[in-house]
Amino acid sequence: MSGKHTNLTYLLIALVGFLTVCPVVMLGFGSLSEGLTATGTFTLAKYASAYSDPALLEVIWNTVIFVVGAAITATTLALFLAYLNIRTDIPCKFIFGIISIIPMMIPHILFSVSWALLLNPSNGILNLVLKELFFLDSAPFNIYSLPGMIMVEGLLDLPIAYLIIAPAMAAFDASLEESSRVCGASTAKTIFRITLPVLRPAILAAFILCVIRGLASFAVPSVIGMPGRIYVLATHLYQMVSTGFAADYGKAAAVGMSVLLTSIVLIYLYRHLTSAGERFVTIAGRGYKPTIIKLYRSKIPLFIILGILSFILIVLPVVVLVYTSLVPYSMVPSARAFSMMSLKHWVDVLNDPISLLSLKNSLFLGVFGATIGIVLSIFVAYVIVKVRTRAAGVLESLSFLSFSFPGIVIGVGFMWFFVRTPLYATIWALLIGYIATYLPYGIRPLSSAFVQIHNHLEESSLVSGASYLTTLRRIVIPLLIPGIVSGWVLMATMFVRELSLSVVLSRPGTEVLAVQILRFSEDGLWGRLSALGIMMIGISTLLVITVTMIGNLFRPADT
Amino acid sequence: MNRVRRWFTCCAAVVLAVGMVWTDGAAAADDTVAFYANITAVEPIMEAFTAATGIKGEYTRISTAKFLSTVFTEFEAGKLMADVIQAPLPVLEMLKDKGVISDYVSPEAAAYPDWANKNGIQLFGIEYVGLIYNTELVNPEDVPKRYQDLADPKWKDKIVMANPASHATTIGWLIGLKEHVFASEAEWRDFLKGLAANNPMLVASFGPTPAPIESGEKQIGISMPKYIVTKAPAPLDWARVENQPLMGTPRAMGISSKAPHPEAAKKFMDYWLSKDAMSLLATKVGEYVLTPGVFPPIDGMDQAQVIPIRELSDDEIATWGEEFKKIFALR
Repeated sequence: MSGKHTNLTYLLIALVGFLTVCPVVMLGFGSLSEGLTATGTFTLAKYASAYSDPALLEVIWNTVIFVVGAAITATTLALFLAYLNIRTDIPCKFIFGIISIIPMMIPHILFSVSWALLLNPSNGILNLVLKELFFLDSAPFNIYSLPGMIMVEGLLDLPIAYLIIAPAMAAFDASLEESSRVCGASTAKTIFRITLPVLRPAILAAFILCVIRGLASFAVPSVIGMPGRIYVLATHLYQMVSTGFAADYGKAAAVGMSVLLTSIVLIYLYRHLTSAGERFVTIAGRGYKPTIIKLYRSKIPLFIILGILSFILIVLPVVVLVYTSLVPYSMVPSARAFSMMSLKHWVDVLNDPISLLSLKNSLFLGVFGATIGIVLSIFVAYVIVKVRTRAAGVLESLSFLSFSFPGIVIGVGFMWFFVRTPLYATIWALLIGYIATYLPYGIRPLSSAFVQIHNHLEESSLVSGASYLTTLRRIVIPLLIPGIVSGWVLMATMFVRELSLSVVLSRPGTEVLAVQILRFSEDGLWGRLSALGIMMIGISTLLVITVTMIGNLFRPADT
Repeated sequence: MNRVRRWFTCCAAVVLAVGMVWTDGAAAADDTVAFYANITAVEPIMEAFTAATGIKGEYTRISTAKFLSTVFTEFEAGKLMADVIQAPLPVLEMLKDKGVISDYVSPEAAAYPDWANKNGIQLFGIEYVGLIYNTELVNPEDVPKRYQDLADPKWKDKIVMANPASHATTIGWLIGLKEHVFASEAEWRDFLKGLAANNPMLVASFGPTPAPIESGEKQIGISMPKYIVTKAPAPLDWARVENQPLMGTPRAMGISSKAPHPEAAKKFMDYWLSKDAMSLLATKVGEYVLTPGVFPPIDGMDQAQVIPIRELSDDEIATWGEEFKKIFALR
C-alpha cells in the first residue's frame, strides 16, 4: 500500500501543483518584471517600492487585529452554534443550521452594505431605533470602525468555521464525555478538558481558514473600512492599483507574497499542532454513537438566545436586502417608503438577458465545479491526513497557494496564466480557476473528518480482501458524508458568488452572478443588486437543502 | 451499498449531462463586434446597434484599474479579443503609444469639435462631475452656489466623496478646480482644508457615492450628475454652480490595431458616434456627450459649461494623491 500511497501523493502533487502554482508563479514573475505584465525585464524595484511605504506598518497592524478578531468571532460563534445544533436537543435545528450558513450565500458586498444601512452613525436603522428607545443624543454604534469590520467579517466567515466544525462535532464519540462525567467532572470541565481538545484539529482548521479568508477579504474593508478611514492590506493593495490609470499588479503581487508566506507558516503550524493524529480519532472499529445531550431547563433560554442572535446577526441584514429590492431607491423605512414598494427591480432583473445568463452560468459552475472539486478534495484530504509524509505536507501547502493570495491580485495571476492557453475567455477557465483557488474549502472539512476515522477500519476492510478503492467507497466515504456535504456546500456557494477571478476572466457569454452584481453596484443600482442577490441566496439555499438531503440518504445509521 | 453505488452513478451522470448541455450554449457567433469599455449601462446602445446593423455587439466591461493590465496582457499574447476599445483618454493614449489603437477616423467625427479627434482616438463625452444633493434634506437656499460653499462648516459630516488619495478621476477633478475655478493656489488649498475639516465620508469610487445621499445618510456629495437620470425617482439634483464649470475626464474610444473583425469595428464606431447613439447615451444613461445639441435630460444641463480636465500623468496623480492624503489626514 505504501507504494500506492506514494504514487497517489505524487500524482496529486502534480495535479494540484499545476492548478495552483501556475498563477502564483505568473504573479511572481509580474512582481519581478518591469512594466504592467509578467514578461518584462527583471527588476526588484517593485519590492523596494512596496515595502518602503511608511504606511505599511500601520496597515499590517490593522490587518492583524482585523483578521484575528474576525477569525475568533467566527470560530467562537460557529462552535456555539454547532454544539447546540448537533450535540443537543435544541428545537428548530434545521433552521438554525441553514441560518448559520446563510452569510456564505450572500454577496459580501451586499451583506456589508446591509450592515451599513443598519448601523451607520447618521441614520442607521438600528441606531435610530435605539436612540428612540433609550432617548440617546447620538448613535450608540458606528459600523465604520475596526470592531464593526470585525463583526461583519466574522459573520461572513461564520459558515466556513461552522461547516468545518459541524462534521467533527457530528462524528464526536459521546462516550468520551460520558467517561469524564462518570469520573465526576462538571459539564464545563468536560467541555474544556474533553470536548474542545478532541475537536482541536477542526477548531484550528476553521480558525486558520478564517484568518486566510480575512486576509483576502475586500468587501468589508472597502464598504466599511474605507469610510471609517481604516485601511487593511486589501484596501492598501486596492489603493496601490487604483491610484493612476496604469495599475501595477506586479507591485501588489510583491505585497501579496508576504501574505502567501504567512499562510504557509500558518499551515505548517497547524500541521505541527495536530501532528499526534491518533489523539483526535473518535470513530474506531468498536462503533461510535454521537448521542444527543438533553438541555433540560436550559433548553428554552438557549433557544431564545440562539433565536435572537440569529435574527439580529443574520436574518435582519437579509430582511434589509428584501426591503431594498422593493423600494425605488435607498430610503430609510417609513410609511412613504412602504407605499412606494413595487416589484420593478425584480422585473428588470428577470427581463435582463445578461442577468439570466449569469444565473445559468453560476448555477453550472456551482454544481459542476463543486462536484469535481469535492472528488479531488477527497483524495487530497486522504493523503494529507492518512499518509502524513513530507510530500503530503507539500501537497497541503500547495492546495493553499492560490487561496492565500489576496483576491484583488490572484485573478490577474490567472489571467496571465490562462492567456497562454486555449482555455482563455471560456467557462472552463473559470471552472479550473475556481477549483484551484477554493480547493481548501473542500479539503478542510474532509481533513477534519478523516482525522477522526481510525486506520483500523480501513485495515480491517483491506485484511478482509477488499481493494483500496472498494475500501474507500464502502468504508471511508460513507463515514465522511458530513464532511463531503460541508465541503460541497462551501465550494458550491463560493462558486455561485465568486468575484475575484470572475471579474478578470469573465467575457461575453461567460458572465456570472457576482460580475453582474458588481456591474449593478458600480452603477449604484442597489434595488436590482438586492433582487439579484436574493435570487443568488435562493439558488444557494436550494443547493444546500438538496445536497443535505442527498447526504442524509447516504449517512450511516446511528446504531 | 448497491443503493449508494446507484445513487452515485446517477448523480455523476446527471452532473456530466447538465455540464455538457450548459456549455453548448457558450459558442460565439461569427458576425460580432467585441467592445471593451469602462463606461457603464450602455446595453441600450448595444441593442440598438445590433438592431440597426444585424451585427451582434458584445460588451465587456473592464474597470479602469484592470483596463491596461487586461488589454496589454491579451495584446502581448496575441489574443486581444477587442475590436473597439473605450476608456478614459489617458488610458487610450497609453494604448496608442504601444500600438494597440489604429488610426481609423470615423466620418461621424466631422460633427465633433476638432479637439475631440486625436489621430485615431476619438473623444465623445466627458465623465462630468458635480455636486449632487438630496432635495428632501437640503433647503433650496442652502444649495451651494459655488464650489467654495462646500467648505462651509454647515456641511460637516454631511458630505460623501471618492477617496482623494487614490481615485484618479477625483484627483484630476480637484486639480481641475485649481486650474479652472480658483484664483490662486492658496485659495484652493484653503478650500481643500475646509472640505477636509468637514470630515467627508470617503468611498472607493463614484459608484458608491449616490446611495448614501439618496438614503439620507449624507446630504451632498462630489459625484456624477448622470445618477439623477439612472437613479430616478431618487430625490437627487445638482448644484448649479454660478459661472463655474462642471469638469471631468474625457471619454475616448478607438479601434484595435489587430481587431478580429475590422469592418464590424468601423461600423460600430461609426454607429456609436452617430447622433442617434449619442442621444441614447445622453437620455438613457445621463452621459454628457460632445455631439452638438445633445444633452442629458437633466434640468439646466443644456446651460452648463462642461469642460474636459487636463490629462494628468500617473506620476502626477500619485504625487497629488500623496498631497491629498496629508490634507485629508489619511494615513
